[in-house]
Amino acid sequence: MNLAKLALRNIAHKSVRSAVVVTCAALVSGLTLATEMLSTGMEKSLELVRDHLGADIMVIPAGNQTAVEQALLMCGPVEVWMPRQVVSQLQDLPGVEVATPQLFLSTMRGASCCSVSDMFMIAFDPATDFTVRPWLKQNLARELRLGEAIGGHYVKIPEDRKNILIYGYEIELVGNLERTGSNLDQSMFFTYETALEIAKLSPMQAERELVIKPDSISAAMVRLSDGASASQVADLIERTISGVVAIENANIFRRQRERLESLTESLATLNIIAWLAAISVVGLITSTALSARHHEIGILQAVGASRLKVILLVEVEGIMLALWGGTIGLALTAYTIFLFRNLIGSLARMPLYYPELGSLLMKCLGILALVTASIGLMTLLPTLRSACQEAGTTMKDK
Amino acid sequence: MVRLKQVSKRYTAGRNRQVEAVRGVDLSVDKGEFVVITGRSGCGKTTLLNLIAGLARPTVGSVFVGGQDIWELRDVQRSFLRNRMFGFVFQYPSLMPSLTVLENALLPTIFFPGDGDAGTRSRANALLETVGLGDKCSMYPRQLSAGQQQRAVIARSLINNPEVLLADEPTSNLDEQTEREVISLFQDVHASSGITVLLVTHASQLVTHGTRLIHMSGGEISSDNRHGTSEKGVRPIELIKND
Repeated sequence: MNLAKLALRNIAHKSVRSAVVVTCAALVSGLTLATEMLSTGMEKSLELVRDHLGADIMVIPAGNQTAVEQALLMCGPVEVWMPRQVVSQLQDLPGVEVATPQLFLSTMRGASCCSVSDMFMIAFDPATDFTVRPWLKQNLARELRLGEAIGGHYVKIPEDRKNILIYGYEIELVGNLERTGSNLDQSMFFTYETALEIAKLSPMQAERELVIKPDSISAAMVRLSDGASASQVADLIERTISGVVAIENANIFRRQRERLESLTESLATLNIIAWLAAISVVGLITSTALSARHHEIGILQAVGASRLKVILLVEVEGIMLALWGGTIGLALTAYTIFLFRNLIGSLARMPLYYPELGSLLMKCLGILALVTASIGLMTLLPTLRSACQEAGTTMKDK
Repeated sequence: MVRLKQVSKRYTAGRNRQVEAVRGVDLSVDKGEFVVITGRSGCGKTTLLNLIAGLARPTVGSVFVGGQDIWELRDVQRSFLRNRMFGFVFQYPSLMPSLTVLENALLPTIFFPGDGDAGTRSRANALLETVGLGDKCSMYPRQLSAGQQQRAVIARSLINNPEVLLADEPTSNLDEQTEREVISLFQDVHASSGITVLLVTHASQLVTHGTRLIHMSGGEISSDNRHGTSEKGVRPIELIKND
């Protein structure tokens, strides 16, 4: 028999009080983790995609900013076109070091000519590209050839096939990129030449033709010269080239970030309310429970428990309940978010980056410490009051 | 062994109403005495026991246990002294409902562990055997009768080999038969171990069981008799019994 065992027995014996404290701890820890995972996970995804674009300015057809950003984020289908000559026009502008074209394509849903459904694909020009090739260098020691593709981390060849079938074209997967945690992990990259080859053969091999408008591109990525101002160059692009919008890197996904800030604020408000409510309930229930335990505390003191031991006993009970509740809340939240991360991303229209295990554990430990400290403190105040009364007086209250 | 010097205790009851539960008590209890303390309800008997055990702090005066003023000690030292010197039996059910009978008997040992787990466990078993609960060790208090619960409390009070046993109306909730059994248990413990017993009661039939009888009235000791002889000019024991 020891103090911890006595605390465990008391917890089991006072099941209603224990259940309420565990529930409060589970609720606040779960909600805090959810807020943290959603806000930082989505912010991280936005950053990752933005970083992988690798351009100082993205130029796209005017009026398509939301559609393109959404396609880049969620890797969904998008069909936007602008004249290829935009690239040469960009190249002539002061402050522009390199401009490179990109095509945004996607596979068909449920069509037998595509072995993967709704896959986002980016075709790039190896001669001028500075956005995709740096990643390729890390994963493939040579240039991509005609008919070859490199996939995001999760792109796999279907088990029953040797290659990936796209619009009836057998494309060879020569490697996978490292995990980014964004939807780019499920995208595929190949050269402009390969894209045109697929489009050329698709009328004969696919249920539906892959249409790439002649002399058209989906976007142009711009790298600035040293010392050039992104905002000034973007402004210049929009004034010089009609029908395009130039988005500075810092402003890419601005709407999504604003939506995320609003979502985070709502979650944080909900979180504060939940914390206040849970802490108040714990304080109230501990206070009520201690009033009912005056007699018990008096007996413990009569048989030799010092005030410190009494406080320790009640604190150990509170901390154990907080740890159990907190662990349950955190585990359930982490697992639920893991299971439904794609659904959450679809609903929020933003990808959700699921953290690495180590980072998740650190977050959980931090929240668990916070919840335990809060509940411990709320338990401590009424316990101090009760333990500092004379045992003789508290027993007389019986 | 235990000495109270001009001890008074005032409580605040209700809206700032001061109640003086014990007034200017001088008392000295020697080792091995069986002191029966009687008096009407509210006369200060329980407060006197609480003062002796350091569960209530005197408003005025000093309490000495083994020559030490217990209010000069730190809380942890006083708790240790209470743990080792005193055994408590209360008038109301005082077993922890979440613990078994054996665990209840072991309760005082968790605060200041001494003999080790095996030693205290076998002593607890032996004590429960002595009080007739050897076969009820794994039961919970709710499964015991009131008399059995009180016997379990007596076993708990003796677990640390205390020098003083404080019993506050231990038979007030028991029927006559069980009351006799419990009192007989006290006498056996006193006779076999020489432990000092302070028994508070307002049951007149119990006053003959001690070696010394103290009567309290209005927070003061109104009579104090050893072996039925009158001392300090207080009333004879027969008169007290008829109160």
